[in-house]
Amino acid sequence: MVRSRRHHQPGALAGAVILTRLATAWALFQGLLIEALPFLLIGVLISAGARWFAPGGRWLRRLPSHPLLGPLTGAALGFALPACECGNVPVARRMLSGGAPLGAGLGFLFAAPVLNPIVIASTWAAFPDQPWLLLARPLGAVVVAVGLALLLGLVGEPQLLQADLLAERRLHQPLAAVGLLERSSGLVGAPPPSALSADSAPVRPPLAELMKHASQEFLYLALLLVMGSVIAALVQSFVPRSWLLAVGGAPTLSILALMLLALVVSVCSSVDAFLALSFAAQVTPGALLAFLLLGPVIDLKLVSLLGLLFRPRGLVLTTAGAALMVLLIGQWVNLWRL
Amino acid sequence: MTPPLLQRAALWRAASLGLWALVLLISSVDGRLDLLLRAVFHPLVALAGLLLLLVALLQLRLAFGPGRQERGDRRQARTLLLTAAIALLVLLLPPAPSFADLAGQRPRDETAESELSFVLPPAQRSLTDWVRLLRSQPDPKLFAGDPVRISGFVLPMEGESPQLARLLVRCCLADASPVGLPVHWPAGQAPFPADQWLAIDGVMGLRPAPGGGERLEVVPSRIRPIPRPARPLEP
Repeated sequence: MVRSRRHHQPGALAGAVILTRLATAWALFQGLLIEALPFLLIGVLISAGARWFAPGGRWLRRLPSHPLLGPLTGAALGFALPACECGNVPVARRMLSGGAPLGAGLGFLFAAPVLNPIVIASTWAAFPDQPWLLLARPLGAVVVAVGLALLLGLVGEPQLLQADLLAERRLHQPLAAVGLLERSSGLVGAPPPSALSADSAPVRPPLAELMKHASQEFLYLALLLVMGSVIAALVQSFVPRSWLLAVGGAPTLSILALMLLALVVSVCSSVDAFLALSFAAQVTPGALLAFLLLGPVIDLKLVSLLGLLFRPRGLVLTTAGAALMVLLIGQWVNLWRL
Repeated sequence: MTPPLLQRAALWRAASLGLWALVLLISSVDGRLDLLLRAVFHPLVALAGLLLLLVALLQLRLAFGPGRQERGDRRQARTLLLTAAIALLVLLLPPAPSFADLAGQRPRDETAESELSFVLPPAQRSLTDWVRLLRSQPDPKLFAGDPVRISGFVLPMEGESPQLARLLVRCCLADASPVGLPVHWPAGQAPFPADQWLAIDGVMGLRPAPGGGERLEVVPSRIRPIPRPARPLEP
């Protein structure tokens, strides 16, 4: 095991060690940020493209709202939108604000970072000798996404979604679908006039308006990404990774350790398989799958981005629900593969 | 009264986007990416930089277009100022990581692949090739006496003398994992500081391992301090 002697040196050098570590954290931060920014840009451009090509987003409201079919359809949309989880947030936000059924939006948000051609190809490139993983990762991602969509669906939109997202979403939902107390406009009691209804003819936004919106969205998301990357870089610099991997051989502990590692490392789903390759030999198969399943749903870098969609309660439920499901899947895989 | 920033939101948006475009583009040309990301991602970063620059220029046109004076809100202004400041900070403070410090935090790379190392003549094997070869061929006697020409940075080790190491990166610096070779440092020579890059010529020699038994160590005939290579990370 390679270890530095530095942290055992006496206090006189502690300041220098901390400075060195901060310099390393600054480099880690830049690495995480610069790697994620292109994917974020892709996501924002896809979201802007959707606004341009389907201005009213009518197709979004036609997605199935069935508790199972909705998340499955959302997950399947991942194949058409090759973005990793940072890029997925603006697209999922666009879906939800455009009035897509909650289950479909959440299914896309949680499963599409794994169920897309780039991620499946990179998983295959990293683990060509483990075909089970190529099947287990997308399947596990769908199970987790459907589970999370069902769980979060129990909470109710007003308690789950951020206020401004909810307000935008209400604009695109038929008045009849919105409770009286939740309406911010419209006539009480009377049927909605056709001009105001969600099925009115969509207006394509002017290009300038579209670009302004996309620019503002990119900058705001970049700011959230910066916050997430700072936290991830600091935690990575000051918590030795060997602590997490020391329990590699123990079935349950190794899963928990790798889940924690996925939260901390915060690399995009399109490249996390290559990262997993470096420690695949040291950990149980269930732990390896847990790492590949949890990271795309939630990590330190994503928390602030997801805060754009969910209220704190939604974030806590997402983290707890995903962790529990991934732990169970990991345990099951260990029973099967060990 | 509306603050000046809010009166020209499009201009500030263009400036902020332009700064981020510069971060990506300058990183692509000044060698910074070689320190942060694996080479395969470099074109993606440059492309994203170009796209951002294009959007920034379009925003600029918007800012000076007729009758386009647009008023933003305070949240927008905060975002614009903060993102511009962060982009500026990233531009002005290039990364200067300590590889030894990073390596000390990480477990060793345990990749089992041996790839094409076998076909390379010993003197052409890189440090990483040697580490992978020795892992796939655990009998050290096979390589004793082979010539060695490697370069890497000095990595202090707990309880033994420093190794010569490299960082392997599959995506970005966040996933760097170290590989190292033990070196039989010449007696009487002052130890090299951590992070110092060295080029070593020598041979592989069998030496007693700290935990008992024997292991291969690089026995240097010539040690040269070198600057950090332009591409210090290995895939």
